[in-house]
Amino acid sequence: MTELTASPPDSPPVSGTRPAWLTPNLWWLVIPAILFILLFFLIPVLSLFASSFDKAMPGQITFQGNFSWDNYERIFTRSLYYTAIWRSVWIGAAVAAVCLVIGYPLAFIIARSLRPGIATLITILVLCSMQLDMVIRLYGLMVLMGDKGLINNGLIALGIISEPLPLMYNWVGVIVGLVQVTLPFMILSLIGSIRSINPALEEAARSLGSSRWHVMRTITWPLSLPGIYAGTLLVFALAISSYVVPALMGGWKVITLPIHIYQQIAEVGRWQFGAAVAAILFLTSLCAMALYIVALRRNAGGRV
Amino acid sequence: MDDVNPVPLTFRFIAALALMVLLVPVLIVVLAGLNSGEYLTFPPEGFSLRWVENFFTSPTFLPAFKLSFGLALATTLISTVLGTLASIFLTRSASKAREFLRGLFFLPVVLPGVVLGLALYVFFIWTDVGLARSLAGLIIGHVLVTMPFVIATVTASLVDLDLSVEEAARSLGATPLQAFWKVTLPLITPGISAGSIFAFIVSFGQFELTLFLATPDLQTLPLAIYSSLRYAFEPTAAAAGIFAICLVTVSTLISTRLSNLKKLLSRR
Amino acid sequence: MNDEKKGLSRRTLLKTGAAATGVSLFNINHVWSQDVTYSGEVFDAGGAVLNISEWGGYWEETQNQLLLNKFQKDFNCQIRYDSTFPWFPKYVAAGPQDPPFAMTNWNMPEMFKTAGAGDYFMEVEEVKANVPNSADLWDFAMQTGVGVTWAFSRYCYVYRTDVEVAPKSFKDFWLPEYAGKRGTYITSNTLQMMFFMASCNAFGSGETDFDAGYEAMRKAMPMKISDFTGNMATLVERGEVNIAVQSDAEALLQKEKGVPVDLYYWDEYKGILTQTKTISKYADPTSKKLAFALLNRTLDPGYQSAFADTFWMRPSNKKAVIPEKMAALGVANTADATSGLHIPDWSAYLVDEIDIVETTNEIFGS
Repeated sequence: MTELTASPPDSPPVSGTRPAWLTPNLWWLVIPAILFILLFFLIPVLSLFASSFDKAMPGQITFQGNFSWDNYERIFTRSLYYTAIWRSVWIGAAVAAVCLVIGYPLAFIIARSLRPGIATLITILVLCSMQLDMVIRLYGLMVLMGDKGLINNGLIALGIISEPLPLMYNWVGVIVGLVQVTLPFMILSLIGSIRSINPALEEAARSLGSSRWHVMRTITWPLSLPGIYAGTLLVFALAISSYVVPALMGGWKVITLPIHIYQQIAEVGRWQFGAAVAAILFLTSLCAMALYIVALRRNAGGRV
Repeated sequence: MDDVNPVPLTFRFIAALALMVLLVPVLIVVLAGLNSGEYLTFPPEGFSLRWVENFFTSPTFLPAFKLSFGLALATTLISTVLGTLASIFLTRSASKAREFLRGLFFLPVVLPGVVLGLALYVFFIWTDVGLARSLAGLIIGHVLVTMPFVIATVTASLVDLDLSVEEAARSLGATPLQAFWKVTLPLITPGISAGSIFAFIVSFGQFELTLFLATPDLQTLPLAIYSSLRYAFEPTAAAAGIFAICLVTVSTLISTRLSNLKKLLSRR
Repeated sequence: MNDEKKGLSRRTLLKTGAAATGVSLFNINHVWSQDVTYSGEVFDAGGAVLNISEWGGYWEETQNQLLLNKFQKDFNCQIRYDSTFPWFPKYVAAGPQDPPFAMTNWNMPEMFKTAGAGDYFMEVEEVKANVPNSADLWDFAMQTGVGVTWAFSRYCYVYRTDVEVAPKSFKDFWLPEYAGKRGTYITSNTLQMMFFMASCNAFGSGETDFDAGYEAMRKAMPMKISDFTGNMATLVERGEVNIAVQSDAEALLQKEKGVPVDLYYWDEYKGILTQTKTISKYADPTSKKLAFALLNRTLDPGYQSAFADTFWMRPSNKKAVIPEKMAALGVANTADATSGLHIPDWSAYLVDEIDIVETTNEIFGS
């Protein structure tokens, strides 16, 4: 269905022209990974989802087999829950979009830098920002964005505003936090596919008199679509399933599905209901990504 | 390439913004960790290495750091091997199941870590083979969430590989295994090391999944930092972060020396 | 309102019934349920492992330093300390027969929730008989019948003194001057649960008049919602919050640190934030005996004073001496100072917890 980083426009055809020894039974290569996923992902997760059809009972975790739709009915009849579905999706999509817009130029610079030292330096900076613990990084962001944070204090001192801007404890804070956390994944997904574009193509177009932006729009961008597609999917998936960021940056004003899941499972102890919310999140996320892939395939004329 | 700089000005501007989003919070934490004051304050009250020293003598953070490091190494090793093998299949097999499997391998990223952690925890208890509250159980969880990154990166580098080189080796009499080992593997090494760096970083910083799988006595760094920040804003946590940053910088520089980072993240 | 009350008691009954069935189910004669006795002596546990769970971070370091290192040496045992909160799921996933920890330190709501889900904990009477130091505790320390409270702090508002207004009563939290500068916690934090019940009590007919509590929460919005006390302390320190629900341990510490704050103790409703320990009923005999010994040391007046000195929490042992710095700020360990302390009806809260969580989330999220 999807891959995280680029596959080139001309994906190698799996055709009969390949010598026979290259297509022997390769299954043994993938069997360990499949077994691993089957045993430690599919079975545990599906049995957790199965319990979502049990009646919710605090402290009861084993599967009872009292089939009921109660948990799902609760999700779709309480605005607290069904609004969170939509909220999670739009925040995920917004984060993916913002990451793409601000990540693309940086990836472009890393991919096309004439001096390899610069590319290495920037890459290390990006990796560093990933390596610092996420929770403490968010604390750093709070120092910056709080009501009495550096940004608000600075703007007030400069006389630009008189009341602090609400940068945190709302959707703005959550999106900035998620962008901070997921941007490196976007950049690393983009670098490869931008680098695989032959610069000669762009130069040719330039020498034929196209403007820089025109070249970017008609050549560079379309040719880097595989990376864009992989990066946005990955960032969307990471953003929609994040618990810590909305919890710390949203000040409990932006309640997304993972927060409900955590609360139901870890705090209220209603695992069946938490499992139902998790199943909804999982399905919603898959549907959103499938829709995106279909739309993208149509637009790209089957290129990705 | 001619001396005309191909990067438009707007791009430079937005790229600078992106770097700021990434680095300013990191900078604040680093300054707080080098702060001489009693608490994590900003702006810092003065420069000192006392919190860094504190980190090295801390009975909480140092063991947590070591655990996270070892855990990330073990995780990286396993998920790189499993993921690379799977990637060879995904790029070379003619099977129709390829697309399906690709999607399957991506799924652990979509599920919130909390859910995955809980599902695994219940599963471990239920099967009762000693995985619950064990290091092995923790590694299994981490392999699940890092393998997608390895598969993606290695698949990309394999897809791009020119098969004719391997075919040439074959026609000169190499066995398929020799051809792969001597020719293909060196060519995709940059992809594999990029994938394993990815896996290492994701495992090292994994927080939500670990919440349910962490073991008594064995606390990972993200958990240690989280539980210390809950009660007091301790600069030692920031110092631990500084140490982690130094670590990734050094290891990236070393791997750059070993296999030119430009190649490492590129596809050719 | 009347119907509502009836509904509540019916649900309470149902819940109790469910718990009772749970108990009878587990009432089989388990191999570990054999009696273990302890009378305060030091013994050699032969390197046995004792699984306990308590808070992490600085708390864990302090425990090791003041108590656990020496304990492990004296009793020749190894303590496995789990600080990955929450513990309720871990207990429930493993079941009463196979407790993940021999001893756990709780905030009360989670403890009651676990106790309600099965036959996990040894009865307080049995604990009392085997832990000599428990004879010196204030009455409230074993009032729950489930665990033994060894430290506590009182609830208060912490408020900044550099703003014009200061609270004189519980209801002053709602003064218009504090609009947008009030702070409380997420629903899973005991401080919020207690604040909620105190509000029910102040604005309604009693601590379980939840509708009055919801109304009070609505009127207090917008509030800054925090997850833990440490985070709230930072918000107060930075002046993003001018009045916050807090435990006096955290508030006194902040005051001593020089932050311009003062405390208003809730005198109308003297709730306490407790640290309470349970011993698992079906832990193996050696663990049980070690747990008795460790609890006995936890209740020791010397340890409790030392702990108070580090964490600003009040001791539950009558003989413990309050550290100078706390006494200077008005903390005392006398019959007078501990009279009227209130432990809320957590069982009633838990019966309606799901509704409370949902409604409060709706209010906080609006």
